Amino acid sequence: MKLDGIIAVHSYKGGTGKTLLSVNLAATLVKQGKKICLLDLDFRAPSLATIFKTEKAEYWLNDYLNGTCEIDKVLIDLSERIRNGGKLFVGFANPATEAIREMSAKDRKWEMRALGRLLALRNSLLNENGFDYLIFDTSPGLQYSSINAIVSADVVIVATTFDRSDVEGTKRMLRELYDLFEKKTEIVVNKVLNEVSLKSGKSEVQTKMKEIYQVPVLAMIPCFCDVSRAEGAFIFAQEKPDHPFTKILDEMAKNLKNI
Amino acid sequence: MYTRKTLRGTRVTRQEILGKKPLHVLEKIRENLEKLNEKMEIMIELQKHGRKDVQPFPEAPLDVMTLLSMPDHLRKTAMTVCRLGRATAEEAAQQTHRARAVESSYLNQLVIMGHLKKERKGRKAYFYVDKEDQR
Repeated sequence: MKLDGIIAVHSYKGGTGKTLLSVNLAATLVKQGKKICLLDLDFRAPSLATIFKTEKAEYWLNDYLNGTCEIDKVLIDLSERIRNGGKLFVGFANPATEAIREMSAKDRKWEMRALGRLLALRNSLLNENGFDYLIFDTSPGLQYSSINAIVSADVVIVATTFDRSDVEGTKRMLRELYDLFEKKTEIVVNKVLNEVSLKSGKSEVQTKMKEIYQVPVLAMIPCFCDVSRAEGAFIFAQEKPDHPFTKILDEMAKNLKNI
Repeated sequence: MYTRKTLRGTRVTRQEILGKKPLHVLEKIRENLEKLNEKMEIMIELQKHGRKDVQPFPEAPLDVMTLLSMPDHLRKTAMTVCRLGRATAEEAAQQTHRARAVESSYLNQLVIMGHLKKERKGRKAYFYVDKEDQR
């Protein structure tokens, strides 16, 4: 039986680690032999093009959502970037300022068409092209493009931190957004302080987080200086297979299959 | 010859009623009752909103913000049609696990609100988000 295959990575605030999670989760699943499609739906601050060092693309996801090309023109096969794995295809958002400005000025009708095109990916990519998972990297907060991604997804992974405004905002979003769309939601607490993550208090905190958010906690990721030091210059889970961060991602990918 | 006029104005012979095609006649009756039901739902809905003078099918894009502002029961139906692309009340009911008649009523409400379009093909009524908008 085919698992539900569309995962949206979202958060209330920016800087919670959505892109880091999306890229490394995609790489982890590819390492496990899966065929993955990673899509940059953060049209306000595109970053996958920089991370994958693909500054120029013939077609962007912007074009697909505008209805000027089909999805196969947008996807770039980057499987060779992940050694001994499955397949990785990436769809980039156009990072040009003009494109960002254009995307933020779209009207409701356009957003509705964009939702239709995102929903159509289930058939074109999962059913017809045999992808195991689509991973949507989204913009933070309640924006059209993010909500479109959430509506189209089967599972939403919410990246959050201990920041109070982030916690409150995430709680609100869980009640007033994900619940309304009846989405399966999992929390990933990122940048957990070392004194919490290294001591026996970890499971206590995990239970507390579950109580606060009332949804399962998929993972707790400590604040790793090595990850920050990498500056997003390489795919961590690929380059550092024995690092604790990579191990957490491995566990996360395993748990995803049980959602 | 004995004939009887149906709701649609077509004549049905005694032979058809009594023996030859009773199933066909029953189907016709059901079809007509469904049409009547739909018309009544539209009238009730228009009356509820006091909009007798207004066009029943104003254009209203079904975007995510609209979905968010909908009552829960209609959002569920609207999202099901968004996912399926095109669905009958029966198909929608299979997804939402609600009764077909309930789903039919919600789908017709969404048509009245201008969020969905409706098209009849034979005995079946299909609901969909406007193709123009899906392009």
